[in-house]
Amino acid sequence: MWEYFKIFSTPEKLRAAGVLGMNARNYYIIGKHNKRSLYPLVDDKVKTKTLADSIDINTPHKIGVIEHQYEVENLLNIVAGHSEFVIKPAHGSQGKGVLVIKHFENNVFTTASNKQLGFNEVYQHVSNILSGLYSLGGQYDTALIEELVHFSDVFQNFSYQGIPDVRVIVYKGYPIMAMMRLATKESDGRANLHQGAVGVGLDLRTGCANNAVSHNMPIAVHPDTGADLMTLKVPMWKEHLMIGAQAYEMTGLGYLGADIVLDKFRGPMMLELNARPGLAIQIANGKGLKEAIKNVDKHCPKNLSAEQRVDYVLNNAK
Amino acid sequence: MKKKFCSVRGVLAICLFFAVIFASLATYYKVVHWGFGLKPHTGTDVWTVDAHISFMPNGEPIEVSLSTPRLGEEYKILSEDVVAKGYEVERNEKNRRIVMKSKPRKEKQNLYYRIMIYDNEDILGKVRDHAAPKVKKPEFDSEQQKGMVDNVWTLVDKDEEEGSTASKIIRLLNAEVPAPEVDAFLPVKKNQQIMADKIIYLLAYRDIAARVVRGVKISEKKRAAPADLMLEVYENGKWMMYNIVTGAVGLPKNFVVFQRGGVSLLDVSGGYHSQVRFSVIQSAVSSFKMAGRRAKYENSGIYDFTIYDLPTLEQNTLKWLMIFPLGILLVVILRNVIGIPTMGTFTPMLVALSLVRTGFLPGLICFSLIIAFGLLIRTLLTRLNLLLVPRISAVVIFVILIMQILTILGYHYDFKIAASAVFFPIIITAWIIERASITWEEEGGRLATKQIINTSLVAILTYCVISSDYIRHIMFAFNEWNLVILIIVMQLGTYTGYRVVELKRFAPLIKEK
Repeated sequence: MWEYFKIFSTPEKLRAAGVLGMNARNYYIIGKHNKRSLYPLVDDKVKTKTLADSIDINTPHKIGVIEHQYEVENLLNIVAGHSEFVIKPAHGSQGKGVLVIKHFENNVFTTASNKQLGFNEVYQHVSNILSGLYSLGGQYDTALIEELVHFSDVFQNFSYQGIPDVRVIVYKGYPIMAMMRLATKESDGRANLHQGAVGVGLDLRTGCANNAVSHNMPIAVHPDTGADLMTLKVPMWKEHLMIGAQAYEMTGLGYLGADIVLDKFRGPMMLELNARPGLAIQIANGKGLKEAIKNVDKHCPKNLSAEQRVDYVLNNAK
Repeated sequence: MKKKFCSVRGVLAICLFFAVIFASLATYYKVVHWGFGLKPHTGTDVWTVDAHISFMPNGEPIEVSLSTPRLGEEYKILSEDVVAKGYEVERNEKNRRIVMKSKPRKEKQNLYYRIMIYDNEDILGKVRDHAAPKVKKPEFDSEQQKGMVDNVWTLVDKDEEEGSTASKIIRLLNAEVPAPEVDAFLPVKKNQQIMADKIIYLLAYRDIAARVVRGVKISEKKRAAPADLMLEVYENGKWMMYNIVTGAVGLPKNFVVFQRGGVSLLDVSGGYHSQVRFSVIQSAVSSFKMAGRRAKYENSGIYDFTIYDLPTLEQNTLKWLMIFPLGILLVVILRNVIGIPTMGTFTPMLVALSLVRTGFLPGLICFSLIIAFGLLIRTLLTRLNLLLVPRISAVVIFVILIMQILTILGYHYDFKIAASAVFFPIIITAWIIERASITWEEEGGRLATKQIINTSLVAILTYCVISSDYIRHIMFAFNEWNLVILIIVMQLGTYTGYRVVELKRFAPLIKEK
């Protein structure tokens, strides 16, 4: 019985470690710095993409948008000339409803897992997206068709299938914490930590791994590929941080999470933004967020450009 | 910025302080002035005492004067009523008499004075009277008479058993085999009045003041009985009450005093053969009904604007609603302080409310059956690949059909269990099925089961709180505490500490150090 209670920590210890709790995040951070009216900018991927394009943030190119059921017929016209693309719901989260077509030829769609789909099946999938099957709260949704990301080979050994991505937490425009999420067999190719994906904390100055966890417990090697996680280093690190910093100006959100993937040809690309990023990043990094937040509030200069802020972080981050 | 939040908390803390004071005062007022019980179903015993006065008029103007119990003392009086048609009724508060006047009449007159009284536990037979009463020493016609009194007193003085002088006299005079001296002193024909007079006479000889008290014993069901007698003796600055037969000290719990001392219980001028007879009817009245009567008697207008003055149907609906805030508070605590994830914010509370209606075990079995069947059917629906809204609608209709089948089966095979199916909120149940099913598909069966179990546990916990008769009574009778709950909920809206589940979630962060 008492053994069970040992897995609990105490509020004093968590406070001493600077851990940000859910209530404190909602009250002091999100409630204070994220205006409700700004949420649609990040909840709707089409809007995010349009905004990003307007200030030259790198995102996968948009191929087309389907808003109404009658437009689904046009799918073939929209994707004509593209042999690979992704169909995703504009309001989806956690990768739900994303259909990756890695080859399209003669009306046959081949998915990432090599399944062959006919037009009717893809039609049905788009209809599901429009009816709100994958959106938050089941509201009517829009289907976004964009070009396929060609994932960089750098992380090949570190991820079991799926898409490795970098999550950067940005507070008042300053990147304050970052991690990489690696899919595992258990997470079924998805990058969500609670589903069993591996979280690797990244050093803010270098983009090098500093800690890794699976199911909240520290690990050293990837459970499926056996790769030494501590050797992980994200290339083009400054560009990653730049995307996060620019997202602040782009959306006006004081606290946001930017999900960034590394494309083989086009470099880091912003996949989506989140106005309510989770707190698991603290576990991946093995440290609390509070200290960094306090640091930004107290010491970081205001009115800097995105690039100046990133330089500040690269030089001063602890 | 932090300061601003602190002030929000400060304002809420002040509000909470005032709300608690207000609720406490209101509770106090309701308990003391309206007689609300702190426990449910505390019906108060209420006695209706009817004093029936009858007499024959003799052709002269009539004036009837009846001594009445003092209001608010010894007994609390719910209502007072005089039935005297055509009489002019006056109340003499100072002498505690009610006076009824009329012009001359012919037939036999029947007048009624009716009071509803309750609860005499506050004062037990000790009436303070600081001015020592004057005692009129008996005068004896002959030495023989004086000798008889002296003889009795000799016996009293010899008595070494415990008790006051008065109780010794009562004991002596009521002995089964009276002493010859007592026999000589008492007349052959005895009744309570004569006994009382004789005791007062004896006590007066030794300068001890005593008087007769007339009233009604209300414990028994009485019909047209004469007034009961008690004796009051002035001892140590207090009037102590004695039972004339047993010598027991103190006002019995069930005695209402109508008249004391030399004044008469009933005076009738302009009539003869007058008598007063008492009838007592006992009834239990619920706290709320009594509160209404009492408030009206005390001319308090507040009561008309409270929920307790509403018809029973409305009261029952409100009684149901008044328990919601507590359930909501529980949900807030479980989610924001403990951090238990459930399906839908208020779903567990709605399930708990249904459980209250259906009964715990039948409801739980029934609910599990509906969810299990529903999930099965939802799995089949998945294969049809329907769009969201039609699919949810199909689940709703299936839930209704399951409920229908369970209800019919329940009626035919006399399972009370199944019949309770109807009470479950259909849409909520359908959404639980839908959410569980989606979780099942996307995150696996383990998480889905965990969520259902979480939701059920929270529902059961909520049920335990809101099904308690005691808590429901408190929340209804003292509904001002809902204001306190409101402010606590708002106060919890500024709680930024860790949730209990986070202590476990973030524990690995600590162990590394």
